[in-house]
Amino acid sequence: MSYRKLRKKMHYKEQIPDSASDTQKSIDTSITENLNFIKQKTGNSPDIIIRTLAISHDPKVSAAIIHVDGLVDNPTINEFLVQTMEDSVQEKLQDEDLFTVFTEKVVAVGSLETVSDWDTLFQSLLSGDTVILLDGKNEALIASTRGGERRPVEQSDSEITLRGSKEGFTESINTNTALVRRIIKNPNLWVESMNLGKQTNTDLSIMYINGIVDENIVKEVRQRLGRVDLDAILDSGYIEQVIEDESSGLFPTVTHTERPDAVAGNLLEGRVAIFVNGTPHVLIVPAIMIQFFQTPEDYYVRFPISTLIRMLRVFMFLISLIGPAFYVAVTTFHQEMIPTDLLVIIASQTESVPFPAIVEALIMEVTFEILREAGLRMPNKISATISIVGALVIGQGVIQAGIVSPAMVIVVATTAIASLATPNYDIAISARLLRFAFMLGAAIAGFYGIILGLIMLIVHLVSLRSFGIPYMAPFAPLIPKSLKDSIMRGPIWSFNERPKSLNPQNRVRQGTDQKPLPPIKRGMMRAETKEGDKNES
Amino acid sequence: MSRKWIIPFFMAACLPFLSGCWSSIELKELAIVSAYALDKKEDGTYVGTFQLINPMNVPGALQGGASGQNPSIATYTATGDNPLEVADRASTIVSRDLYFAHTSLLVISEELAREEGLSSILDAMERGIEFRTTTKIVISRDVKAGEFVQVLTAIDQVPAEKAIKSLEFTEELYGENIATNLQKFINAAVSTGKEPLVSGFSVEGDIEKAKTMEQLQSSDGSATIKVNGMGVFKEGKLVNWIDGEKSEGTLWVLDQIRQAPVNIDWENHEDAISYKVVRQKTNVATKIKDGKPAISVHIRAEGDLRVIEVPVDITNPHVLFRIEGALQQKIQAEAKAAIEVAQKTKTDIFGFGEKLHHSEPKVWQQFEKEWQDVYFPALDVDVTVEAFIRRTGMRNNPYLFDLNKKSE
Repeated sequence: MSYRKLRKKMHYKEQIPDSASDTQKSIDTSITENLNFIKQKTGNSPDIIIRTLAISHDPKVSAAIIHVDGLVDNPTINEFLVQTMEDSVQEKLQDEDLFTVFTEKVVAVGSLETVSDWDTLFQSLLSGDTVILLDGKNEALIASTRGGERRPVEQSDSEITLRGSKEGFTESINTNTALVRRIIKNPNLWVESMNLGKQTNTDLSIMYINGIVDENIVKEVRQRLGRVDLDAILDSGYIEQVIEDESSGLFPTVTHTERPDAVAGNLLEGRVAIFVNGTPHVLIVPAIMIQFFQTPEDYYVRFPISTLIRMLRVFMFLISLIGPAFYVAVTTFHQEMIPTDLLVIIASQTESVPFPAIVEALIMEVTFEILREAGLRMPNKISATISIVGALVIGQGVIQAGIVSPAMVIVVATTAIASLATPNYDIAISARLLRFAFMLGAAIAGFYGIILGLIMLIVHLVSLRSFGIPYMAPFAPLIPKSLKDSIMRGPIWSFNERPKSLNPQNRVRQGTDQKPLPPIKRGMMRAETKEGDKNES
Repeated sequence: MSRKWIIPFFMAACLPFLSGCWSSIELKELAIVSAYALDKKEDGTYVGTFQLINPMNVPGALQGGASGQNPSIATYTATGDNPLEVADRASTIVSRDLYFAHTSLLVISEELAREEGLSSILDAMERGIEFRTTTKIVISRDVKAGEFVQVLTAIDQVPAEKAIKSLEFTEELYGENIATNLQKFINAAVSTGKEPLVSGFSVEGDIEKAKTMEQLQSSDGSATIKVNGMGVFKEGKLVNWIDGEKSEGTLWVLDQIRQAPVNIDWENHEDAISYKVVRQKTNVATKIKDGKPAISVHIRAEGDLRVIEVPVDITNPHVLFRIEGALQQKIQAEAKAAIEVAQKTKTDIFGFGEKLHHSEPKVWQQFEKEWQDVYFPALDVDVTVEAFIRRTGMRNNPYLFDLNKKSE
């Protein structure tokens, strides 16, 4: 039986998870019943802490405080729940509503709500809230006590800037949204929350600025997130892969960042951010090609410098894409293009190399990829060994053994550096894969092969869309006004309009007269110098 | 990927590793030809000599190579009925593919240039895919072209490079030569109103020794390659040589001088003042006078004084004007002498005919056919010169002048 047939046979019907059965039962009036149910549902897990106490002796009313160890903020529970409840133990309970007493007099935490179904109860309990059950009530009180040990706000390791905020996102979604709120203090900064992942029940928020963002983009984001029915969401990468436009392509159509200032900047341009609990990587949609060559720092330094740096990045990307391919094409097809002196040098180096140029290139490229992958996930101490092995054994040894020419090592090394200089890892990794395709193209047909590959690449890129936005905007379609923040980075005072490609509701960004002007009269400045000043001449 | 695609994919993936795929050729399969020399045998066949670069022996190219021990070039000789056949026959003695894209020098023997001309050779060169039209042409003077490319040179490891560099530097610094490439030669040769000029090279010394490493082991070498005059071509054949001051005059008229020394006599002292041109412009104007063409050449030169061997007071502007006047006369004389020589040999190397063609296209038709033989030799050429001294070097008066003043 062929493999394909076997696979068809193994095709099974989707099983419906049994979570639906939980909702059938609602909260009972008996506290013992309820506590038993919770114990049974959580498998008697010891980290579910249940504490019972009496809150009134006549009639005897008992209450239970339930929370998950480690997820809650312990001082809050001790001081504002247990302590106050014990203090307010009443000898005789008035004919008042117990809940009213509790909410108004006893419980002193920030947010308090009432629930009556088990689903919501467990959801809150497992998110770190504290559940208060009262005897004789078929409802439960949920007190917000989320807390516990979390990584503090630190500098992001993957997006380092010399200038600008050092804050990076953490794994906590609340901290992350707060970090953005601290930057944009505007009631129009809207957050929508949802809960995805059938087993993990991961919190997820989308954030945008109402009045700037195009409603259609938000609608599209909601709709795409709405159809997510994954078992687990362990990272924003899960979400990225199920909402992106081109899931099998090589180019990312969703970008992510660890920096709150990057999120803020993108929100202000009219984009939507997706926060996922448990990861510092916040997704930003829609993403266009040129974004992957930009960093927040570009806007913090003066514009001629960041323009040059952006151009350098695009150039680096091209090198990392076609560097070895160019070398292979030139040395096996277009020797006439190399200056004679250089050709003699290269020829003398390849004289003793037993392989054709393409095999040489593949050997070195694959070796480099192995070294990179080996060094990436190693502890620092071992990675030093790897760099020695890489530099000495492979780099030098391979040349002395005459297996690869020194010129090829230079080309591969330059390409490697260029690929690491691309600021966004997602786009660098696309170039890394495509590089091999270009090398094969160059080995088959020289420059013709490279150009053919580039044409195909461009055709692919212009056909891409990210949440309805053309991927190559503002180049294709050409939007002249947006060009000043693309490969170039115009002066801040010239950014009078938001990017047109994102179709923002509010196009006007700032006043039109932001260019600084010199003082009208120099005399105004001179007048300030007084007798006895150091500048006095 | 379905199975339908797997097999084609692997087949395609194998393609780059297969040899002989399209025009792909590895570097080590190439024999890089740096110079191509053509001689002629008595029986009328061509003798081609290829100067091939031996990359392993080029010093500095690779550590651990045999550099410096062995010649950085190898030469092979083959015969054939035309330049391409020569190259094809050479494949029987060369183990690699002769690669002409980096051939920078084409050497033609004087004998071949005089008797047969270059027309038939150049067609083969220009038509070939690999051969560049920027390849420089030179004539080997008093020496076989094949022997010329076998001479080793000390500083430039590839002799062809050395020949081209000395050609270009003498053109720029000395103003007595012209670097002609294939394209320039062909353009001039096909034009009815212009004839090409090609620099000559000669070898001085013991050629046999110069082919061995002995040549590189002494500081003076056994033989040297030397730029030597300019050959004048008519109808594709070498007809005359121009040497020395006449070649300088030729370049003045041709507007090719970049930095040339001009020496003038001063008060009975021969070549007492030396002047170095730094900027030069020559304008050639044509007009028809009484139904006859007339040419006026205006040369404008700017330069510095370099050597003054006589006591002159150059702080005095009037003296400078006198020196300028003398310079003008000297340049004018050189240019006129060069034009006279060209008129005598009935070859319009200056392109006067072409200039006339451009300015008076209709009138040109009546002169075109007999331009070289009838009209050019009888041409009335008026040469005017303006020379300016811009700087007098790092000092003012020559110390001789100050010395004289002291003794007075």
